[in-house]
Amino acid sequence: MIASIVLLALFPFIGVPRSWLLYVFLFSIYLAMANMWNLLAGYSGLTSLCQPAFLGLAGYTMTMGTWVGVPWWVGLIGGGVVAALFAILISLPVFRLSGIYFAIGTLVVPEALRLVFYLWKPVGGALHGAGAGYMVKGIADVSMDQIYLIALLIGIGSIFLMRFILRSNLGLGLAAIRDNERAAASSGVNVFRLKLYTFIISAVITGWAGAVFYLYQGYIEPSATFNVKWTMTLLLATVIGGMRTEEGPVFGTMVVVFLYFLLARYAGYSFLIQGIILVGIMLLSPQGIVGVLRSNRLYRALAQLISAR
Amino acid sequence: MIGSGDILTPIVMGFLLGGLYALIALGLSMVFGVMRLINLAHGDFVILGSYGAYALMSFLGMDPILSLVICIPVMFALGFGVQKYLMGRAFGISMEAPLIIAFGIALIIQNTNQIFWTPLSRGITTSYSLKSFQMGHLQFPLAYLLDFLAGVIVMIALREFLARTYLGRAITAASQDKRAAQLMGVNTNRIHGYAFAIAMASAAVAGVFLGMTFPFTPTSGISFLAIAFGTVIIGGLGSMLGTFIGGIILGMVQTVGGYFFGPATQMLILYLIVLVILTIRPQGLFGR
Repeated sequence: MIASIVLLALFPFIGVPRSWLLYVFLFSIYLAMANMWNLLAGYSGLTSLCQPAFLGLAGYTMTMGTWVGVPWWVGLIGGGVVAALFAILISLPVFRLSGIYFAIGTLVVPEALRLVFYLWKPVGGALHGAGAGYMVKGIADVSMDQIYLIALLIGIGSIFLMRFILRSNLGLGLAAIRDNERAAASSGVNVFRLKLYTFIISAVITGWAGAVFYLYQGYIEPSATFNVKWTMTLLLATVIGGMRTEEGPVFGTMVVVFLYFLLARYAGYSFLIQGIILVGIMLLSPQGIVGVLRSNRLYRALAQLISAR
Repeated sequence: MIGSGDILTPIVMGFLLGGLYALIALGLSMVFGVMRLINLAHGDFVILGSYGAYALMSFLGMDPILSLVICIPVMFALGFGVQKYLMGRAFGISMEAPLIIAFGIALIIQNTNQIFWTPLSRGITTSYSLKSFQMGHLQFPLAYLLDFLAGVIVMIALREFLARTYLGRAITAASQDKRAAQLMGVNTNRIHGYAFAIAMASAAVAGVFLGMTFPFTPTSGISFLAIAFGTVIIGGLGSMLGTFIGGIILGMVQTVGGYFFGPATQMLILYLIVLVILTIRPQGLFGR
């Protein structure tokens, strides 16, 4: 595993084709976001549909920062902080809701934000599309290699973060809540606080991943940013790979990135096909790829070998 | 100020609009009552109904209200199928599976509509939908009055159906206590199918009137899902009358808010009200 990470990190320096960099870049971004969605929906019982709010707010923080003279990397880090603060703010209404209510309550949030950014044009300047559409300013000296490495850091980092969280007290508490929320609460697990922690963590990482994505894209505008299609991508990556499994999002994200480039030619049909795949996988193999693999003895031996390292 | 009658216009319009919102919310409320599922695809089902009426009108020249004769049975059958082959199976898998499948269905409908109808905004216009009617010295669009009447009619019809027919009572029984209903010989799987189908049929009606009132695009579904959800939240789940009152409150908030802060902010005010109500009273204004 270490070897493959080192290899990926060396990609820009050994002259691999640009398209490979793009694959790995998108993979890292989606992986970080899918891992965070898995943490919420798979491990904490929070079926959050407001991830676009986090990545969009972080993206806007960075972009708007570059307009008022804040270096892009400060804005990028600050974007995660803004996303975290926003997570705390919306936890007030949505954490009163459980299960299905939570999902729909969070679904409204990106929609509201999109309208906010249609109406509110925070900094003046060149418009790009409707509402608050901005170019990311002054990033001419940021190379694709740099962006690639930051994305890789966040993507790979999210894997280790998941490992760390699930083996920490937080992870134990989450497992207890998942098995029986009432029993966990009566044994002294602070259910509300643990869920809030995971919500904030996921906001920060999703925000960072989003900000790096917009650093790469070079511009940001509200309708594609606060869009349910982001949610679709994360959901698909997690569900295809296997929800509630650590390695699921890794496999799922590979498939999603592959699909993304495969279906790029049929842009109109891409999300239709992804929707069908989502429903199909959920019905036929709810544990995703990992569920199928885990029934294979060779895979189990291999997984043990990797985690032993 | 032109006169004190000015503020009256948004109040009356919001009141009438409430009928439409209640109409959209009835199906969501019904599915939730019986299956404990917030159907994330409900808004898209409504928009599907709008496109159905739009298609019949533009290709066959059918009157949109008359086209319900075709749209209602088609949507009813579709709903039965969706419940039987997709949603019904999902409940056995895990807690979040039905939710994810509903989300997938929503995206499938959205993108199918987009392929067939392009992302352009459409509207159902007939000889009467653009007319207006006089009330005192004020003028209101006739479509809003039709919305209100349709809302009242569908609500009363559903209420009578649930109270008086065997199927209606079985649906009520299944939503109150599934196990007890099963023991009394109610086939709850079939009941779920009918409940979903009825919700879809009501979405077809809602879609037609929505199309006559507002322009719609393939992605409008989410806004109307939010409206339906807000309506149900304000009214409290399970109560038909509460849903209706919730619709009226939400309609008035939207139009009166638009009157004071400009029409562009209407939807934003609506979303904020939903989130604020969730914060203060998650069980709804009329819920226990």
